Order: sequence, then C-alpha cells, then structure tokens
Amino acid sequence: MIVASGVVILLMMSLLIRFFSIQFHSYEKYSKRAEVNRIRAIPLNAPRGLILDRNGEIIVDNYPTYVLTGIPGEMIDKRKNFYIISQCTGIDTSVLKSNYDKYYRGKFLPSRIAKDLTFDQLSRIEEHKTDLTGINYIQFPERIYSGKINAPHLLGYVKEVDRALIKELAEPEKYIYGDLVGWRGLEKVYEKSLRGEKGIYFMEVDAFGREIGISTDRNAEYPVPGNNLVTSILLPLQEMLEKRLEGLKGVALVSNPKTGEILAFVSKPDYPADLFTGTTTIDDWKKIISDPDKPLLNRITHGLYPPGSTLKMITAMALIEKKRVSYSETIDCSGVYTLGDRDFRCWKENGHGTVNLKKAIAQSCNIYFYHLVQRLSIDEWAEACRQFGFGKKVGIDLASEAKGVVPTSSFMNKQYGRWGWSKGHLLNVSLGQGEFVATPIQMLQYINLLAMKGRTPVLHTIKNKETELVEVNSFSKKTWDQIESFMQQVIIAPNGTGRRSDPKIPGLIIAGKTGTAQNPHGEDHAWYIGYGKYKNDVISVVILIEHGGHGGVTSAPIARSVFNLLFSSNETMKLAFTQ
Amino acid sequence: MIKVFILKFRSSNSLVFVLALFLFAIGLVTLKSIESGQTSSIYSQSFYKQLIFMIPALIGLLTAFLIPRHTIHRYIYGLYGVILIFVLIPYMGREIANTYRWVDIGLPIGFQPSEFAKWIVVIALARYLSDHNLQMNYFSANILPIIIALFPAFIILIQPDLGTAIIIMVPVLPMLYWAGARPFHLFLFIAPLISILTAFHWISFTIWAMLMMFIIYKAKPSIIFGITTFFSNVFLGLLSPVLWGMLKDYQQKRILTLFNPELDPLGAAYQIIQSKTAIGAGGLLGKGWGQGTQTHLKFLPVQESDFIVSVIGEELGFVAIFVIVTIFTIFILKIIRSAYNVDDRFSSLTMIGIASIFTAHVFVNFAMTVGMIPVKGLPLPFVSYGGSFLLSSFIMVGLIMNLSIDPKDY
Repeated sequence: MIVASGVVILLMMSLLIRFFSIQFHSYEKYSKRAEVNRIRAIPLNAPRGLILDRNGEIIVDNYPTYVLTGIPGEMIDKRKNFYIISQCTGIDTSVLKSNYDKYYRGKFLPSRIAKDLTFDQLSRIEEHKTDLTGINYIQFPERIYSGKINAPHLLGYVKEVDRALIKELAEPEKYIYGDLVGWRGLEKVYEKSLRGEKGIYFMEVDAFGREIGISTDRNAEYPVPGNNLVTSILLPLQEMLEKRLEGLKGVALVSNPKTGEILAFVSKPDYPADLFTGTTTIDDWKKIISDPDKPLLNRITHGLYPPGSTLKMITAMALIEKKRVSYSETIDCSGVYTLGDRDFRCWKENGHGTVNLKKAIAQSCNIYFYHLVQRLSIDEWAEACRQFGFGKKVGIDLASEAKGVVPTSSFMNKQYGRWGWSKGHLLNVSLGQGEFVATPIQMLQYINLLAMKGRTPVLHTIKNKETELVEVNSFSKKTWDQIESFMQQVIIAPNGTGRRSDPKIPGLIIAGKTGTAQNPHGEDHAWYIGYGKYKNDVISVVILIEHGGHGGVTSAPIARSVFNLLFSSNETMKLAFTQ
Repeated sequence: MIKVFILKFRSSNSLVFVLALFLFAIGLVTLKSIESGQTSSIYSQSFYKQLIFMIPALIGLLTAFLIPRHTIHRYIYGLYGVILIFVLIPYMGREIANTYRWVDIGLPIGFQPSEFAKWIVVIALARYLSDHNLQMNYFSANILPIIIALFPAFIILIQPDLGTAIIIMVPVLPMLYWAGARPFHLFLFIAPLISILTAFHWISFTIWAMLMMFIIYKAKPSIIFGITTFFSNVFLGLLSPVLWGMLKDYQQKRILTLFNPELDPLGAAYQIIQSKTAIGAGGLLGKGWGQGTQTHLKFLPVQESDFIVSVIGEELGFVAIFVIVTIFTIFILKIIRSAYNVDDRFSSLTMIGIASIFTAHVFVNFAMTVGMIPVKGLPLPFVSYGGSFLLSSFIMVGLIMNLSIDPKDY
C-alpha cells in the first residue's frame, strides 16, 4: 500500500511542480506571449482547379478578389468600423452587419464582412487602418467563365459554404464558412480533385491586432492548388452548337462512340454560367426560375421525351434476330392502317407504296412497322429496348439523371388496368410515342451502341477516363451490319429522311435516323440521331428540337454542320480525336 | 429496501462519490465559461448536454453500487466476451473522424465501447487473479492476465486509439504486483519495451544495459536465465533500428505521429504551444472566469474535453489546478486505502485496477497540456465533456463504493 500510494503521490507532485513552474516562474513570459504577442492563424485559400476543354483551352478560370474580415474580439467599436468601411466601399452598413453575423465563428476567429472588393476600395480602407483594429483582408480566388461557351448544365457551379450548407457536406471538416464548394455538375462531381488543399500561415500580432511579422514558432503550410479538370469537350464545336441552338428549345450532343467521350453538351435554353457567383440581382433570379421554358432544367439528363421513329431500329433488329421477318417481305403502305375502329396514319399522307424493311427504315414508314411489330409481344419488344439502355440510367459522370420509362405489359396493366389497354396502345408505344419516354443522353448511348455494334464505353465528360463497357450481346454481327446499311440508306437514298444531314464529304459515311415525335403539348419534337465514320474515326450526334416539326427538316441540318465542322479539315479532326 | 440502501451507502466509501461530484461541478463551471461568447452550436450546447449526460451516469453509478458483488464476480467473463464483440463492431459501422471507435446506436449520440472495456478488463483480471490461487512466484502465472488485457487493447490500438489502448494495459502491472507477483518478473515484461525505446541512441542504450545488468544481478535468477534475458534484450535493442530502417517513410511517420503528435503538421504541436501559453498566462490566480483570451481562441479544438485543463489553468490559475490535483490525489488514495482494508481479494484487486485507470487518466491529461508527455486524446475524469467517459467514470465510482464495503458490516 505504501508503494502504491507513494507512486500516486509522486506522480501528482510532479504535475504540481510542473504547473507551478509554468504558472509561477514562467508567468511573465507566457502572459506576455498571451497579451502582447498573439499568434494569428491565417488561412491561405487554395485556388480551385481550372476546367479545360479537351485541348487545354480554359473554360472555367479563377480570378483573385479581396475579402474583408473582422476579428470580433479585436474590433473595438463595431458600429464605427462598419461606418468607415461603408464610406470607403459604398457597401451599406446593414449588408456589412448581416455578413458579419452570417460568418461569425467565434470571438477570436475572423468573420467575413465583405467580398469582391476592388483594389481601389482596399486602398481607401488601408488609409483608415488605424481606426480599423481587427479588420484585415485576404485574397480569395473566385470562378470566372471564359464567355466563349456557356454549358452551365455541364459545368455546374460552386456555392458558398454557410452554416446550413456545411451540415450537408460529405467532409464538413474540410470547409469553413465562406469557402466555395462544387454544388452542381462537374464542379460537384469532381469536387475532391478540384478543391485543392488549404494552406495556413501564422502571424504574430500585438494587443491592438496589428501584425508584427510572421510567426517563427510555426512554419507556414502552403496551399496545394486543385487539379485541373480536362474535360472531353471540344470548345469550337460546343461554341458552334450553342450558337445554332440559341433561341430554340432543345438538345445537341456529340460524342466519340469508341471512347465514350462527350464532345459537345448543349441544352437550351440555359442560364448564364456565372448566375451563381453572387452578382445576380433578385429580379433576374426570379425571372429565371419563373421562366416557362425552364432554363434551369438540364434537358440532356432530365428531359423526358418520346423518341418517335428513332426507335425503329430496335424493333427491326428484334424482328430480324427472332426470324419473324424476311428482307424481301413487302407491305403496301396506303398512308393509313386500321386496327379495330381506329386509324393509324403514316407521316406521308399518300403512303409509301410497296415497302420492304430497307425502305421502311430509310423513309421511316409507320404502316410497315404497325404491321410487323404485332409479331412481337410487348415484353419481347420492351426487353430489346432495355438492352439498349432505355428505362435505366446511363451512368454519366454528372450528379443525377432521369431513368425514363419503357412500358412493359405489367406497366401497362398498372397504368390502365388488366383489360384497359389494347393493341392500339402497343402500336403507339412501339413507335416511340405515348408512355415511352427517354432522355437525350440515353439516345446518345443508343446511337453509340449502333455505331459500335453492341459495345461502347459508358458516356463521360472527362478526357481519357476509362469507363466500363455497355454491351448488347443478343444480336448477331449480321444483324448489326444489316441495320447499319439500312441506316445509311436513311442518309443516301433519294427520299431518305436524313439526307439533309449529309455534308457530302468524300470518305465520310453517315448512318442515322430521324424521328418526329408526337406530343400533347404542340408541334412534334424533331429528332436526329446518327453517326459518321471517316477512316478509323467515329462521331455520333443526337439533336432534339422541341416542337421543331420534322426531324429530317429541322434537326438533320444541325447534324450536318457538326459533321462539316469535324470532318472538313485535318486540323479540326486532330482537335477532335487526338487523345 | 431503502433502508438497506442507506445502510449500504453509509458503510461505503462515500467520500469518493462526493469528490467525484465536486470535480463534475468544476467541469460544468468551466464548460459554461467556454460557452460564453460562443455562437457556434458545438460549443454552446456542451454545458446542457453534459448535465443531461449526468442522468445515465448516475443510473450507471447506482447500478454498479447496488448489484451484489457475487453477481459481478459470476458474470464478468461473459461481459468481457460481450465487450470484445462490441469493440469489434465499430469496424462494421461508419468511420468518424478517420477512426472506428464509435458505435452508432440509432440515437443522435454515439457511444464508445472502448470506454467500458477499461473497467471490464480490470474486473475480469481481478476475477482471474483471485479465483486461481495462483503461485505468483512463477513467471508463467503472469502471462494469461497480460493476454486478457492485451487482446482488447490491441483491437482498440488499431482503431486507432493509442490512448485508450494504453489505459487498458496500465492496470495490469499494478494488479499483478498487488496480487503478489515478483517485481523481477514484472521487470521482465517492461524490459523489452525499454530496450526498443532506448536503442535509438548509444548513450541511453549503454545506461540501460548497465542498469539491466545490475537488476538481473540483484534478482539472482539462474545464471542461464539471467544471461539469456540480458542478451535477448540487447539483441532486441540492436535489431530494432534495423527493422525501423526497413519501414517505408510514411509508415515511420505514422508510428512517430502516434507517439508524438507534435510531428503532425497541422496538429498538436500548435495546440500544445497554445495550451502552455494559456496555462502560463493564468498565473497563480487566473484571469477570472470567462476571461481567458487564449482558450477562447479556437485553436484548441477539444478544449471542452481533452484540453479543459488549459481553460481552467488560464481562467482560474494555479490555485484551481492545485485544488483539483489535490482532490484527485485524495480520491485515488482513498481507493487504494479501501483496496488495502477490504478482506476480499477480488474486490481489492478491482479497486487497485480502477485506481490505476484514474491515476493514468489524470496524469496523462494534465501532463499533456503542459507538454510533459506527447500522448494525446485522454479526457480528465468527471471534468471533461463527453457522455461515454462520464458514464464509465461514475460506474467505476459505483463499483468502488460497492466493493469497499466489508460484507460483514451490513
């Protein structure tokens, strides 16, 4: 017992001696350090990584702004301070006060008072430095957009971290109030790589908050800038398509089916990319969110459209593979097909005359497909559609996307009741109308599968990123080849509906399909999906113009300008295809 | 029933309970001070949360106090098994702050099973050492008790939580000593550790080798055993720098940081400087409650728990530190006295184990705030903010009150 108690007493005595020596003998030294020389930790913000196009052209850049901060415990007269700052900068004192409260983190931690200060404003504040104890400024990098392209749905935006937001973050310990965090689009998906690592340095300050010099107790940690993000976007192409679609409602997508890289990503109407940098007035903001054309909606991943005749290839392939049609079999198209008491019309009022499969695809004859699709059950047909990725997410590297709907018999039963739907519904659905809806990004994956004959990497927006393969294995090579030749007929046959997409460049072979999708809201949606093969290079294109009328008339010419831009000269081809 | 309770309470070591409550009150006062001038929610709620934590803590204390001693004795091995499973469970849960030490129990508060492992290991050890009328003179009798503690300690070490792992190991040697193990045998357990630690400088290693020779000579083991012990230790010492060199840079750094957090670039070195400055600036009488400028600098991220002593040191001065250290000393000496007085070996050993846990906690916590030792992450019993540890501490107080009663007395 004596040993045990002795050990305890010895240990406790050693503590008391140590505390006594620090608190009594070294009191002078430490109290001086505490009162006169305080160490202030100053964060060094890491610049976010830039967002570049596939050839290194800058799309999103940083520019330095100045942020004014105040340390609550050191500000002697807050009201006077705010008044002086207001005089120097022209910012209202109520704004300063509300910022100060919003960013308040603690008595001795700097709270942000104003941001985006110009050098002029700063120099005026500097003149009053002696009256402004505890007020400091730090450099703060903000986002700036190149202006050549907009693509806000792709790039996304950053948001300022505040008290409410920090709770929603995956790694809240990495952020403080006022930091920027990627909130949508690429900025969000690649946040970890873009944000970099904050640095810190230490200043000794005196009792009045004046900085005496850099602290010698602690070494500075320099910030590590975020990694630049090299996207797969081709700047000139994106620029051209944004201009072409200006004023329209619709989507333009271009990709390389061999790699799955997206070269252009246009969803119109859109909003200015810098909408969220804090310079937008409330009125502009209200205008955007109440706009009936929904500019905030990313039509590429969240717009749900009936795909119309562009689905005909799937129906044709399922029929061929199951041997339920022969290439020579013909149907007579008189412009109308009657089932029960209902008339189904071909888009060509007078009819196509005698039609075989080749002609039915090239000229998009509905009557032919009304006849033949009845040889498939709705579930056989739906299964083929699902294999091409409809009804499920494509897995693109953007935060979210819609799934769309592929109606099966059980879906139809749920929707209309066991006996509530008829063959007529099936005819409608199998032509890509009615309940069948898909996103444009699904259409892009669909055309890529056709271009690559059943194997294409998952679509993505980052250059040289390896992604998994999407595969469709249930069709023979012969079927794929056959469908490709039919789709070439769509472009080169004299009455082919896609002929307007052909820029007639020697060596460029285009295969495609148009679609004219009826919808309850007005004029038909105009679709064009297709791909061009030139030597070893492939490019796929999806164009959708809402209420644009005939796909062959409205959308195909936009596809032509894409092929024209990419394949008309060696230079642009180099830009588009070099890895 | 109530009469029995009152009788039991009176005859118990109730001073321990009073001292614990007093320390808890000091903690509350300090939390209130930290809270003043704060708007951040993390700090502003610690006072009330700590008050609420006191409810389960008192229930734990009552349970530990009222439960019959033979029941504890009978079920402790089962409980030991359960806690082993619980310290493993966090690996299946999510990671919090890069470690796995928390169990999510579906409530807004998590709980740390490793806190409970501390006293469960002690009681399990006490049962083992008291059940087996062990021939403590034999070296081999020491091995199984060490394994009993080593097993959970190792799991907790890789969580990673070095502080708690050490605390679990701390009671082993005092308990073995109390149970009558030969000091030379205990020396044999510590020797390899010291051999490794001293091996990094030739002067320290030479001194150690000489000391080792002297102790072995004094203990007079068989010649072969003595020589083997000496040379295997020397060999271990010579080998360790070689093994160390074989580790990759980042592995070395990780191990060094574990023992010395000051090497962590954005971590504890700055905290310790701040903590020392705060304590030193407090002087004899302190700056006054709520007036500590240094501790209100939020450079100390755990000032409400692990670094609460810095706040007390700055605001209330050496006087308060003196009072608190004295209270802890009386508290621990009271436990040792009870352990000495009680007839039953199981109770006696349990109390010695608990006394070691409290001693280690108090010493490590105080010492780290003034940079005497590097290990981080141990809260101060009863004073620091935190639910699991408060509950665990009061359960230990309950156990002491329970076991300190001579069964004949009531």
